[in-house]
Amino acid sequence: MPLTRKQHERLANVVTFTPHMRPGNPPKARADLPDQADQGISSGTGMGTFLLLFPGSVFFTFLVTVGAGLWGTWLPSLGYLPAMGKTTLTLHPWTELFNHPAIGGAVRSTLVSGWGTALGAFLLSGLLFAMNYGSRTWGVMEKMLAPILSVPHAAFAIGLSFLISPGGWLVRMVSPGLTGVDLPPAWVIPKDPQGLSLMIALVLKETPFMILVMAGALQQIDYNATMAVGRSLGYRPAQVRLKILLPQLFPHMRLSLYAVIAYSLSVVDMSMILGPTTPPTLPVLVVQWFNDPMLETRLMGAAGATLLLGMVLGSLLLAYILEKAIIRCFEWRVANGRRETLLSPMTPVGRTLLMGGMTVFTLTMVILVIWSFTWQWPFPEVLPAQWSFRFWEKSIHDLGSPMGTTLITGLAATMAGLVLTIGCLEYEATLSKTIAINRYKKCMSIIYLPLLLPQVAFIFGVQMLLTWFHLDASATGLIWSHLIFVLPYIFLTLGSVYRSFDRRIMTTATLLCGSPMKAFLKVKLPMLLRPILFSFAVGISVSVAQYIPTLFIGAGRFSTITTEVVALASGSDRRVAAVYALYQQLIPMGVYLLAIFVPKLMFINRKRMQR
Amino acid sequence: MKHLLSMMAALLILFYAALSCAQDWDDILKQAQGQTVYFNAWGGSQAINDYISWAAKEAKKEFGIKVVHVKVTDLGEVVSRVLVEKSTGRKDKGSVDLMWINGENFKAMKKNHLLYGPFTQKLPNYPLVDTENKPTTLFDFTVPVDNMEAPWGMALLVFQYDTRRINMPPGSMEELLALAQKHPGRVTYPAPPSFYGTTFIKQALLELTDTPDALNMPVSKADFARVTAPLWRFLDRLNPLMWRKGKVFTKGAPAMKQLLNDSEIFISLSFNPNDAANAIANGELPGSIRTYVHRSGTIGNTHFLGIPYNASAVEGAMVFADFLLSPRAQARKSDPEIWGDPTVLNLSRLTPGDRALFEKIAIPTASLPPAALSKVLPEPHASWVEALEKAWQIRYSK
Repeated sequence: MPLTRKQHERLANVVTFTPHMRPGNPPKARADLPDQADQGISSGTGMGTFLLLFPGSVFFTFLVTVGAGLWGTWLPSLGYLPAMGKTTLTLHPWTELFNHPAIGGAVRSTLVSGWGTALGAFLLSGLLFAMNYGSRTWGVMEKMLAPILSVPHAAFAIGLSFLISPGGWLVRMVSPGLTGVDLPPAWVIPKDPQGLSLMIALVLKETPFMILVMAGALQQIDYNATMAVGRSLGYRPAQVRLKILLPQLFPHMRLSLYAVIAYSLSVVDMSMILGPTTPPTLPVLVVQWFNDPMLETRLMGAAGATLLLGMVLGSLLLAYILEKAIIRCFEWRVANGRRETLLSPMTPVGRTLLMGGMTVFTLTMVILVIWSFTWQWPFPEVLPAQWSFRFWEKSIHDLGSPMGTTLITGLAATMAGLVLTIGCLEYEATLSKTIAINRYKKCMSIIYLPLLLPQVAFIFGVQMLLTWFHLDASATGLIWSHLIFVLPYIFLTLGSVYRSFDRRIMTTATLLCGSPMKAFLKVKLPMLLRPILFSFAVGISVSVAQYIPTLFIGAGRFSTITTEVVALASGSDRRVAAVYALYQQLIPMGVYLLAIFVPKLMFINRKRMQR
Repeated sequence: MKHLLSMMAALLILFYAALSCAQDWDDILKQAQGQTVYFNAWGGSQAINDYISWAAKEAKKEFGIKVVHVKVTDLGEVVSRVLVEKSTGRKDKGSVDLMWINGENFKAMKKNHLLYGPFTQKLPNYPLVDTENKPTTLFDFTVPVDNMEAPWGMALLVFQYDTRRINMPPGSMEELLALAQKHPGRVTYPAPPSFYGTTFIKQALLELTDTPDALNMPVSKADFARVTAPLWRFLDRLNPLMWRKGKVFTKGAPAMKQLLNDSEIFISLSFNPNDAANAIANGELPGSIRTYVHRSGTIGNTHFLGIPYNASAVEGAMVFADFLLSPRAQARKSDPEIWGDPTVLNLSRLTPGDRALFEKIAIPTASLPPAALSKVLPEPHASWVEALEKAWQIRYSK
């Protein structure tokens, strides 16, 4: 009996065990094989019930935590804070908020830098992709992506600030030798009142993230085939990427774009270093109010945090509407059939932009390294006048315990996050009906809330909740609070790859192993090792960067490398701050390197598994 | 005879009081043994962090208490945490045992019953504090301390200038303005409500106002607009001549220190008269920086140690606060090579041996001699802080 093409394919997969992760065929495969044997690791209903525990606990935990967090902010914003004897509901904090002299300027600069960042990062990543993908510069950039992403926001801001400020490194490089300038010029960056330098820094930091997401999304699309078809129709590569690939990529990038919007509107640490000062951006103002010696100001702070929440949600809604409008307006352009494009002649521009961005990142890192070895470095010396190893030497004595706490918390939160994520995804795999899957996905999207809500809008409520249950100042509470922020990122980075795993492989493996669990452990997990390790690295770096949860929920009992860095950054000593910032970067970078090299070592005899 | 009797009775009472006090303190020392004290203090200065870690080691050796320095960026975070604990009804086992506090934070915590005490009367070293000549040890931003916080160090608003750029430092706010006219863009002050900025504003107000007496009363009893009019006239002229044309401000003295090192500004400020010397000694500033104060005197206050109402280790916190008040700890703290924070003690009350610890500390070239720092201006009444900050923000932070 002659085999159909599909049967051929399936047979080929069975025989060669090809990790068939590229073509977007999971729904097809699902339709192909409706039987129970292929449904993830659960072959029976008992397993399905067991797996239901994962999404159940995640759903419950997130709902309770975020809900309580928001509640704990909303009540004070309405004047309810019994600890201060305030027990009547009133709109007074809100009137106070809207009458505050700084509110107008703060909202304006927040919107400018937030929206500027989101649009800038999105357009830039799209254009860079369209113009440069596949070039050698792009290849270099892809290799640099992991180290760039592992740079903590605060460390990047500190480095960039010293690079571009009037008394900073760039000016020192040309002064007084080339310019005759022996005093710093009077330009108004960073910290310009419009928030532009903050915006540029955020664009620099968020564009690589968008590119990473895009690279992940590319895995879901058959790039080569699409390109071949497009080319054969006479489109230039840049045009194929812009007109055919980007529209397909966008749905995979939407959530990340939303996360970027939310993040740039509510960023605190970078804004403190590079943002405007009189007034600062709204999230910085809110933190100031929460810390104000006049305890009554906290009520206005709660109102401000809620306003910020409203701004973020409004922006997300606007982004959604904009997306629809853009599709409406530009649909015809995609299909207008024009083959010539402005993009191709602009390729050198794109390459320059890419190189420029990478140079800035490299320079900010180099500057941190130089500062960490500095003793005295007055203006206008290009390099320090006196060098010293002292701060590195001292750090070895001081840093043992914060380093340990950072690692243990990061590992615990990330491992928990991975187990929960995989559990949830496996449960999803047991669902056979598309409607059920979609409903489930909708429910589970609650875990993305921490990415989309400003941290200041609910972390104080979370603190209240954990204090209530005496979980503050405990390792459990600390890991929990980290998990809330780690889990969404793990889900985000692992989800799509995990979902597109070819279930036919599991069918075959289950048949050969005799047990779905065995098949899961021996075939599925190893095959997914690379993306899992990558999510692991993302999880660790997210956990390492947590400052507010560590301080508030850890109640000062746990000092991590980040609490040390942030505390030192509030002082004047750039040298110690640089040493600690480099340590802070060391952990994520090390884990990213592990994520890259472990699969290479483990699958040294399986070439395709290394990629 | 009657006289003698009453005197004996008085002596007896005194003796008994001293004994019971000692008894109390012995109990406290015993209870403190083995306790862990979470000391929440600003962690932005390596010099201060190192000093605290030295003190922690000594306290471990001498009293068997473990002190953990919780490094915070802003004490407001800690106040928030205590407030949350109160909100959830936690009356003991709080997460904060001892905190570095003063001024507005103290006022707010005292008002909202977030502090433990009174306790300083129990500390054996407290009688050494110079409450007569340093009235700010009894009145924190004019709020009565009432033994609710233990004095730790003295603060004094001093300015620093770069001798490579300026020959003569200004001696008053008017001269500062003249300097800004000569060197546009090279002067700045931190933005209120940062307490550095607020103190600068208060200093300017004290120097410029025609009715300085009004500042000793609550702001509600004064004609705010009239009293502060000269201040705003001055700032309206100064701000446009400042660093970044007065459109950007720093957050505080630490950021200004970096700008001073980068020659972006020529004048910085500090609350520690030995700050410049300390920064030169540890390489943060070039050797050309010197300290100065304005001729009419300069604002001074005291910083303190407080214990939250629900501290887990009250006894340990008291023992550590007392150790920080001891001549040995205070002398080390006032050494510019270590930290340079002036002592709260009255040196004449110390034993000759203890006094020698202070006397052997040399005054570094970057610091001013004590005589130059003797003219201390009292803080305006605490109620002025909020009013000034608000008025400043309405004018310059829109």
